[in-house]
Amino acid sequence: MLIVIDTHSGVPVYRQVMDQIRFHVASGLLAPGDELPSTRTLSQQLGVNPMTISKAYSFLEREDVIERRPGRPLVVREVDTDRERRRKVDSLRESLTPVVTTVRQLGIDPALALEELRAMLREEPDIGEETT
Amino acid sequence: MKIIEFDGIHRAYRRGEDVLDGVTFDVRKGEVVGLLGRNGAGKTTLLRIAMGMLDPQRGSVRVFGMDPLKRPVEVKRRIGYVSEDQILPDFLRVEEIIRLHEGVYPGWDAALESELIDQFAIPRSARIAELSKGQARQVALICAISHSPELLILDEPAGGLDPAARREFLETSIRMLNETGTTILFSTHYMNDVERLAGRVVLIHRGRILLDSDLDRLHEDYSICLVPFAAGVDIDTLTGLPGCLAARERREAMHAVFSMPPAESAALIEREAGVRGSSCRGSDLEEMFIELVGGQL
Repeated sequence: MLIVIDTHSGVPVYRQVMDQIRFHVASGLLAPGDELPSTRTLSQQLGVNPMTISKAYSFLEREDVIERRPGRPLVVREVDTDRERRRKVDSLRESLTPVVTTVRQLGIDPALALEELRAMLREEPDIGEETT
Repeated sequence: MKIIEFDGIHRAYRRGEDVLDGVTFDVRKGEVVGLLGRNGAGKTTLLRIAMGMLDPQRGSVRVFGMDPLKRPVEVKRRIGYVSEDQILPDFLRVEEIIRLHEGVYPGWDAALESELIDQFAIPRSARIAELSKGQARQVALICAISHSPELLILDEPAGGLDPAARREFLETSIRMLNETGTTILFSTHYMNDVERLAGRVVLIHRGRILLDSDLDRLHEDYSICLVPFAAGVDIDTLTGLPGCLAARERREAMHAVFSMPPAESAALIEREAGVRGSSCRGSDLEEMFIELVGGQL
């Protein structure tokens, strides 16, 4: 599981871990039932405080992304499609926020911006491959 | 459970100048606290007071509930200490230094010692004088942690080390956290390491605590604001606002740090100071440090 920590981003490390695991789940890289590395393994691998990893895991558990089973590794949960779609849309909105700001700052016509987005989506079929 | 308790610590230099002027905070079991501050802020002095190497002229310190000056042996046995200016005797061999420490500390973990020696690839027969700076620091670390101490006190442990050696040091500290749940109090100027290791930061400035916060909260609930110049609004206006921790004038705008999330800070500045168009955002620790320390009058 590839997770990259950026200590200059200003985003708390536990958030970075959560966001990237959520992304891996949304993209299908992590499938339901897949085991997650232990807190200890991941903390050594990333070079961060183990408490940070357990904080990220607890929040993901609360969000029903992962599941804790006594005495066994954490696993990715079966996906609730409705919730998953909402989650994907939320994550998309978040990524689009800076784009919207740029569109406004540059004074670009929204219709033109949309057209541009459509064109880009057509150009890169491998990104839009997964249907929701 | 409180592992370290600093209560109103005061300490002055011989020439009468205050180094620490009323420092109070606790370190609880399992916490990893990064002690930050500019050069000369008093970080080393404070850590030495915790080690019982210096006495506070006013105030008190307790480590494991004991006074480290009165019960030095009992306290030090449970601590691992590494500092930048620690001097290992040049003429001794690595093996001899390690055996000396084993003799002093109960509960020496020979397996851990061997593993660390292998990991750092340090020849046991080498004299300290023959080692690089990084290797000497690694030997100091092996001596400090092979008894699996309950508390690690690290004073600029990575100072002067190359990035690879620094990372190894960090990873070893993380391993200690994983294996023994060690409590750590460390000082450093490497904000990267703080972001990775610390759960909480304490910033000392001019002898006092300027900030004591959970690190995640610092990212989420604090913001740096660039406030455009406006008639009748100056630094004092900003520092007078509730939640303003620091403010200073720069060429392009006024910079201020607020203990609230960006959107709230911007709204507060507009509402209370009547200035529109402030740009507020969260920031990494390095920038927060610079703004906090730079914005003190």
